[in-house]
Amino acid sequence: MSENMNEIKSQSAEELKKKADATGAKALEILIEEEAEGVVAEFPNSGALLEAAEKIRNAGYKRFEVYSPFPIHGMDDAMGLKQSPLGFIVFAAGSIGCIGALLLQWWTSAVDYPVVYSGKPLFALPAFIPITFELTVILCGFTAVVGMFALNRMPRFYHPMFYSENFSKKAGDDGFFAAIFVWDEKFNVREVKQFFQNIGGKNIEIIHRPLEAELAQQN
Amino acid sequence: MSAENFKLTGESKFGVIALGVGVAGVAASVAGLFIDHKTFYFAYLVAFMFWMAIALGGLFFTLIHHLVGAEWSIVIRRIPETLASAIPMMAILFIPIVLGMHDLYEWSHEEAVAHDELLKHKSAWLNPMWFTIRAYIYFGIWTFIAWTLYKASLDQDGGKDVTEKMRSVSAPSMIVFALSITAAAFDWLMSLDPHWFSTIFGVYFFAGSWWTTLACVVLLSMYLRGKSKLGEVMTIEHYHDLGKLMFGFTVFWTYIAFSQFMLIWYGNIPEETIWYKHRWEHGWQYVSMFLFIGHFVLPFLVLIFRASKRSFTVMKIVASWFLLMEFVDLYWLIMPTFTIVNPDAHHGLHFSWQHLTTFVGIGGLFLWFVWNRLTSASIVPVGDPRIEASIHLKNA
Amino acid sequence: MSMETATLKQEHRNGHHHVYVPEPELINDKPRFKTITDIISGVPEGKMPRLWWILFGISFALMAMYLAVITYLIWKGIGIWGNNTTVGWAWDITNFVWWVGIGHAGTLISAVLFLFRQKWRTSINRFSEAMTIFAVICAGMFPLIHMGRIWHAYWFLPLPNSMQMWVNFRSPLMWDVFAISTYLSVSIMFWYVGLIPDLATMRDRAKPGIRKTLLGLFSLGWRGGNRQWRHYERAYMILAGLSTPLVLSVHTIVSFDFATSVIPGWHTTIFPPYFVAGAIFSGFAMVMTLVIITYWMFPQIKQIINERHIDNMNKIIMVTGMMVGYAYGCEFFIAWYSGNPYEASIFIKRATGPYWWAYWSMITCNVIIPQIFWIKSMRTNLAVSFIVSIFVNIGMWFERFVITVTSLSQDYLPSSWKYFNPTIYDVACFVGSIGLFMTLFLLFLRYMPMVAMSEVKGVLPHANPHHPDHELNGHGNGHAHEQHRAEKVAELATKNGGR
Repeated sequence: MSENMNEIKSQSAEELKKKADATGAKALEILIEEEAEGVVAEFPNSGALLEAAEKIRNAGYKRFEVYSPFPIHGMDDAMGLKQSPLGFIVFAAGSIGCIGALLLQWWTSAVDYPVVYSGKPLFALPAFIPITFELTVILCGFTAVVGMFALNRMPRFYHPMFYSENFSKKAGDDGFFAAIFVWDEKFNVREVKQFFQNIGGKNIEIIHRPLEAELAQQN
Repeated sequence: MSAENFKLTGESKFGVIALGVGVAGVAASVAGLFIDHKTFYFAYLVAFMFWMAIALGGLFFTLIHHLVGAEWSIVIRRIPETLASAIPMMAILFIPIVLGMHDLYEWSHEEAVAHDELLKHKSAWLNPMWFTIRAYIYFGIWTFIAWTLYKASLDQDGGKDVTEKMRSVSAPSMIVFALSITAAAFDWLMSLDPHWFSTIFGVYFFAGSWWTTLACVVLLSMYLRGKSKLGEVMTIEHYHDLGKLMFGFTVFWTYIAFSQFMLIWYGNIPEETIWYKHRWEHGWQYVSMFLFIGHFVLPFLVLIFRASKRSFTVMKIVASWFLLMEFVDLYWLIMPTFTIVNPDAHHGLHFSWQHLTTFVGIGGLFLWFVWNRLTSASIVPVGDPRIEASIHLKNA
Repeated sequence: MSMETATLKQEHRNGHHHVYVPEPELINDKPRFKTITDIISGVPEGKMPRLWWILFGISFALMAMYLAVITYLIWKGIGIWGNNTTVGWAWDITNFVWWVGIGHAGTLISAVLFLFRQKWRTSINRFSEAMTIFAVICAGMFPLIHMGRIWHAYWFLPLPNSMQMWVNFRSPLMWDVFAISTYLSVSIMFWYVGLIPDLATMRDRAKPGIRKTLLGLFSLGWRGGNRQWRHYERAYMILAGLSTPLVLSVHTIVSFDFATSVIPGWHTTIFPPYFVAGAIFSGFAMVMTLVIITYWMFPQIKQIINERHIDNMNKIIMVTGMMVGYAYGCEFFIAWYSGNPYEASIFIKRATGPYWWAYWSMITCNVIIPQIFWIKSMRTNLAVSFIVSIFVNIGMWFERFVITVTSLSQDYLPSSWKYFNPTIYDVACFVGSIGLFMTLFLLFLRYMPMVAMSEVKGVLPHANPHHPDHELNGHGNGHAHEQHRAEKVAELATKNGGR
């Protein structure tokens, strides 16, 4: 399951301001906690991230994600993810491509307008194999790519994670991050922050939209 | 790790049974020779080529393993090495083919050559003397390569550093191997139909040969798992990799077989198409179709799934099926030529009890030899410096 | 921490004292992940060196000439080429097969070597995939312009014509259309899928502006979460699995163009695997040429593509060169063995007839010269590698020329035998296509990450979560299953007291 943007609650700027006024000095902090979309923590390396993933899972969180600049072996097991279903989808597409190609060649060559070329039979199976193969492959290929995009909900240009400057700077480079999101049933900002601290996370941050800027604009 | 640790531990009567079956098979085959020598030699050639294919595949496995510096296959390396070490025994078992040449190869009939322009043209290559000498040149080459590598591998168990040596022996050996297996396939199989020719034929035989060896390695290692500590170092990951290779070479064999068929079918030149015509009439068309389904479609559909490659049971069944299909393949290559040297015989399928006797005769002796070698040394090449990594193999 | 000490520690832990043979370093200096990002992203972010501009100028000029010549060709018709009634296929098909063949190495590196877990491929796969795409584009141009009436190219699509007739699916040329277009599409998809994480990395590094916007657009919002990697890796594996038979099929089908006919020297069953081996051979030579040219422009890349890669590629060049030699030998032997006088005659004529120079250039460049790579010091010598790669490129062009032209110029009917002479337009089209190829390649270096960053990072020793000496600190041995097996081996070992 991918994180769902629709669940993020949004407050109008006016409401925000009202609350900020009411609570005084620590207004921003409280606001941030209220508006949190998740908590992110950084880990030093792939091994630590793998351990962290296992611990997060064991703690009962479900809506969490780990981020790394390259895929980490064994992470699927650690997170308790099943194997990607992509293989089966592609196999089905390939079967359609294979049968479709044979049907196309059979119908055009032997049924719709039969012409004998170079003494070959109308339904010349050996001569139809190359195109059958190519159409199978291209259908598989398209399905693999499009299927991967669909399963990954791509393209998706906005995601709360990008609010974190540290994440944006390092995620594609050499940073290893874990995040637990607000749409997890067990989510509680302070608890999650504490939890990350306990399992060795660094640079723990609450993910939120740029409230500072919004407030400044209001004032 | 020491070599002793990976010797056979469990009780096994495999060697004794193999020898017994082999001797009985040979005895029955000898009886067959006297009852019907024409059928005997053909049956013998099919059986011989079957076990020879496994031995040659073992040699190829060893060579390619050293050449690419493969890591995953180290724990199973000893099995193909040992399969290849049986080549000198196969050289002895080749003698009946030399003796029975007249019953197998039309080009060995002087009167046929005298009346046939093409055979006359080819007699510089296809004549009994040169054929025999060539065969023993091949055996000499293969024995030399196989035993050099096998002995080096045993030395490695004893702590000698031979990694580089094995690699440098393998490089030139691979060239000689490629040329000799091609020539052997031309000589022993293609020349059964002496008018026919196909440049890809050597590759075709090789493709089937390695394909079968992979299956043989799977089956032998499955048996050895229960009898030694092999089971502790050879995990499902290794079978997964073997399964991938089996899948890949199912496709490769099909690719080569299809290339040959397609080009001959499309070119439609009578002197070439006759070979396929022989295999598409008098009941042979069913064997041809069975070969296509059994050698390609079924293994393809089963092995394409990850789960099958990671199941001991499925792998065992598929590997046994491979052995059956290689036999069918060789039967299909060899038996339709029976009527070339026996024009009066009927053209259909030749099922004979002699196929069974020769198969178990040669097979029994082959397996007995292999078993003896396997049990006299460590089943895992414990001296390889990278054995650890091989044991820890993990598939993505 | 080096890999060596790491493994030694591991061995010590398990109670072993093997002679440790360190694997040659994949990447020089065991860089941190960041170094890789900096080196690779640094190239398109920085200024292009003078040599880049010089090469680009030359390539661009050639490409411009190419476009001009093609325009003229389409205007006048292909009569301006040297093709004649006997030799209907000449440089055009030679160039087509040559370019398609070159493309094959890219797929081999990205797909086949991936399936065989050859980690060293990660340093050169992006590079060669790009090369594949550009080579296939160059290849596709030749059949198109050879048609003469290029505006009828759509007749190749499976559409009924004005008389309700369909295309002939039994024709090898039709198979070619499907094979080449499938190959191009799958290669582009494979390349693009591989690029996504790297584009995201570059997006994160870019300053706001049009570049960042474009990078953001094409990286599709990639974040590198494991749930994404999971499907991504599966897709990558499937594409690799598809590309492997695909690459075989493409040159096989190209070989069918020749071998399904009954022209002597064309109709032989070894053609499919022989063409594939030749394709990989020429493709690796081209990758080598390009790698070394890239070294001259961007020396910093030597940290990532090092001697070991050059060595491995040269080995593959040598092996595939010998496969090609094997096929030459088989063909020659069977030409004699078959007793077919036409077959025998064409092979003798190839070696001694009017095209002897082409035949012996082919043998020299493809079979003899690569033998120098038996010597290890030659395999890692850049100058030697560069020269040999050029020879192989030339030799493989001659191979296709020998196959196409010698067989056609002297087939069954001596009265129609004709010698082929190229015209200036033949040469211009060929040289121009190299200009197109190089222009595309240089633009690729200018704008794209030339090495797959995420893949290179993924194969570094410290990328492994179980790597005992993590670059930053030491915890990380977390996987229960893995530990269990390690213990088992240790137990086995201690039982007999180590060795």
